Amino acid sequence: MPERAIGIDLGTSNSCVAIREGDTTTVLANTYGERTTASVVFFQEGGSISVGNAARAGLIHDPIRTIASAKRLMGRFYGSEEVKKAQAICSYKIAEGDSHGVVIEIGDEQFTVPEISAMILREMKTVAETQIGESISKAVITVPAYFNDNQRQATKDAGRIAGLEVLRILNEPTAAALAYGFGKGLNQKVAVWDLGGGTFDISILEIGDDVFEVLATCGDTFLGGDDFDDRVIDLLADEFLSKHNIRLRNDPFAFEKLKVAAEGAKRALSTEDDVEIRIPDVIAGPDGQPLSIERTLTTGEYAKLVHDLIQRTFVVCDAALAQAGEVARDLDGVILVGGPTRLPLIRDAVSQYFQQELKSDVDPDEVVAIGAAIFATSLVNPTSDDAFLLDVTPLSLRIGVAGGLAESIIERNTPVPIEQTRRFTTFKDYQESVDIRVYQGESRNAQENELLGQFMFSGFEKARRGEVSIDITFEINVDGIVEVKAKDVSTGEQASTRITLSAGLSEGDIESIIQSQRTDRVASTLSQPTQGGRPAHTDEALAPDQALQPVEGAKPKTKSVKSKPTLMGDDLLPESDDLLEREGLEDVKLTPAAIDPTPGGKITAVDEDLTITAPTLDEPDAKELEEELFERPGTDLEGPGDDETKA
Amino acid sequence: MADLAPTEITALAAILGELDYYQLFHLRYDAKPSDIKRAYHATSRVFHPDSNRHHQPEIRRAIDEISKRISEAYSILRNPRRRTAYDQQITAKAGVRMQLAEAEAAGSRKQTEAREGRTPQGRQYFNLASANLRQGDFDSAVRNLQTAVAFEPDNAFFKEQLAQARKKWDAKRP
Ligand SMILES: Nc1ncnc2c1ncn2[C@@H]1O[C@H](COP(=O)(O)OP(=O)(O)OP(=O)(O)O)[C@@H](O)[C@H]1O
Ligand SMILES: [Mg+2]
Repeated sequence: MPERAIGIDLGTSNSCVAIREGDTTTVLANTYGERTTASVVFFQEGGSISVGNAARAGLIHDPIRTIASAKRLMGRFYGSEEVKKAQAICSYKIAEGDSHGVVIEIGDEQFTVPEISAMILREMKTVAETQIGESISKAVITVPAYFNDNQRQATKDAGRIAGLEVLRILNEPTAAALAYGFGKGLNQKVAVWDLGGGTFDISILEIGDDVFEVLATCGDTFLGGDDFDDRVIDLLADEFLSKHNIRLRNDPFAFEKLKVAAEGAKRALSTEDDVEIRIPDVIAGPDGQPLSIERTLTTGEYAKLVHDLIQRTFVVCDAALAQAGEVARDLDGVILVGGPTRLPLIRDAVSQYFQQELKSDVDPDEVVAIGAAIFATSLVNPTSDDAFLLDVTPLSLRIGVAGGLAESIIERNTPVPIEQTRRFTTFKDYQESVDIRVYQGESRNAQENELLGQFMFSGFEKARRGEVSIDITFEINVDGIVEVKAKDVSTGEQASTRITLSAGLSEGDIESIIQSQRTDRVASTLSQPTQGGRPAHTDEALAPDQALQPVEGAKPKTKSVKSKPTLMGDDLLPESDDLLEREGLEDVKLTPAAIDPTPGGKITAVDEDLTITAPTLDEPDAKELEEELFERPGTDLEGPGDDETKA
Repeated sequence: MADLAPTEITALAAILGELDYYQLFHLRYDAKPSDIKRAYHATSRVFHPDSNRHHQPEIRRAIDEISKRISEAYSILRNPRRRTAYDQQITAKAGVRMQLAEAEAAGSRKQTEAREGRTPQGRQYFNLASANLRQGDFDSAVRNLQTAVAFEPDNAFFKEQLAQARKKWDAKRP
């Protein structure tokens, strides 16, 4: 009996699950017979939680307890632009959590974003189990290709919380290309243009003899159908303001009604030339009388409203094509993915941009889940005619250096898995530590990139300058997840420590969430083979601090690599900011944090000494510190890989 | 699918540090870009983690090392600038691995060197020739470029400039 594994497209608006059995791949419908399930979670008063289409009702009736588009918040820092934008368009309460992350507040409960996503994933798992009639634990979960490490890690965490073994985090456009080309023996270069609810991705792939090689991928993780709706909401709200002098955006109920109307109008425009928008009783007027909106929206008007959004996608396409070394009209096909691609307005613009007809034999809502299912099956039951994927990292991986700059270590669109090593050496006598920041992004200016993590490497032997060498190894695995290893070469300390740079949940956090079963309260209309009806929660079980507290003894902002209390808390990273300094290309120096080593208390160079601190989002202090680490000159002469091959 | 024996995998992992990227891909040093791509696909199919999930953890670790090296090799060899820098490194027997950032830096350094000259004399005569060209003095330009090329016989940019100056000089000659 071949092993079973499902493919899940965890979308911003809708999620879809599929399975491959024998030669056919099937999208599994939920009990409503719907082939996609709304990515919406509704926390009903009284404690039960509904997910999917049943939860949609909550959007109108109880918007502050109904979570939609949570994917936009995955792996984001609270202070980020993206979170601010989400706050502007979401009625539910987004607050700051541990490690500068995001939590969603429902009454007096707090949920992390991976927990919300886990509820959706669990629902998809249940949909599949109900259809198939047996329990399933393995899945490939897709993410936008342009997701960074934090977002991928958060998605993987969500899978684990949902009780899934995540076989792979797969890029959505790659999955779509797989669904399109699998088993057809194609030799083609194609573009996948994927505009979903919240994200835009473009990937250029070469398909040949069932090898799917991604040549380049680019995207915008904050551009999707939601933004199109927002334009219509603005229009309606502005008109309403000038007519009635009432701000609809300030009222969560009215705002949700606008959102529903805007979304409905968009859908209508995918089949009609104009649409009648009618919102009776959008809000009560000054005398308590119901006020309404009635208006016709034409395709022409709509085109103007969203013109710049569509153009933004083409700027991204230009970059992807340039990186792939391809020209639009030379491609053999363009595959459209995502709900908004049903709009003729969009299809025409894309067709014009690529100067060719579009492939119309793929279902834009299901193709990603189908590709994920094909891949999931090939991972658990390898056969000789499997499709084979060669993917790339979407963003450059960088290390912070002086002057607020970030040097690229692994460029974007480099194939994965990949590993690169840099050797550093101490600059000062008896230097004990060095603090390292890792970024992802395309800017030389450190702050314009996403800070993945910051860690301190410490506990060097007492030695004179230059006598301590550290190899720092950056690795990106096939999931696109980043790991950094640091190794003290000089002491012969062979402990090579692996550091997972996760700004989100720690191992301990995930464990305690799973144990608390706080995400299992879903009162799905579906049968729940595993959990059954969970009793309403008790207060302790839901106390946010408790559930989210990282490893005991560790301060919330500091995660230790091992589950042992860390020796170095925040206090050892005072104004840690600007540690890294740069002088010329060949001569990267690292300046450690200004650390006053504990008198007498020598910190030994063992794994436990490594700490990852949650990235500080404040401006780095540009002041130059005297202590520095130099990248060892002449590294290249020694062959950077020497140590590794011996190991 | 991969029917590799675990011993083949560990054997390759053990000598990984001695193989240059061409050897890793079983390629000749003058391989064409299309050969490089084909070799990348073929080698990846055999050693990619996806094709080797069924092995023991120890073998999978070896697979990880090999597949990471394959990506690195491809990233260097598929890019002409990086490949040139790499070819020089292995010719000089200065190691079989090259970090991507290093290859980039070496590549762009080479480009500037080619444009401006790598030796002081090369630069000096090239600058003289440029001034001659601006003044339309092709005779002197050719002479100075010849001298520049004498100092840097491998500078393709100088040679190309010389060829062009000669053409112009020929065209002008009565
Ligand atoms: N017929 C239609 N015409 C226009 N837009 C539509 C139509 N159907 C769905 N949409 C829009 O498509 C978007 C959702 O697309 P989709 O389901 O592909 O996104 P997703 O996969 O959930 O998101 P993402 O891939 O960004 O995570 C929503 O903005 C929705 O309003
Ligand atoms: Mg999608």
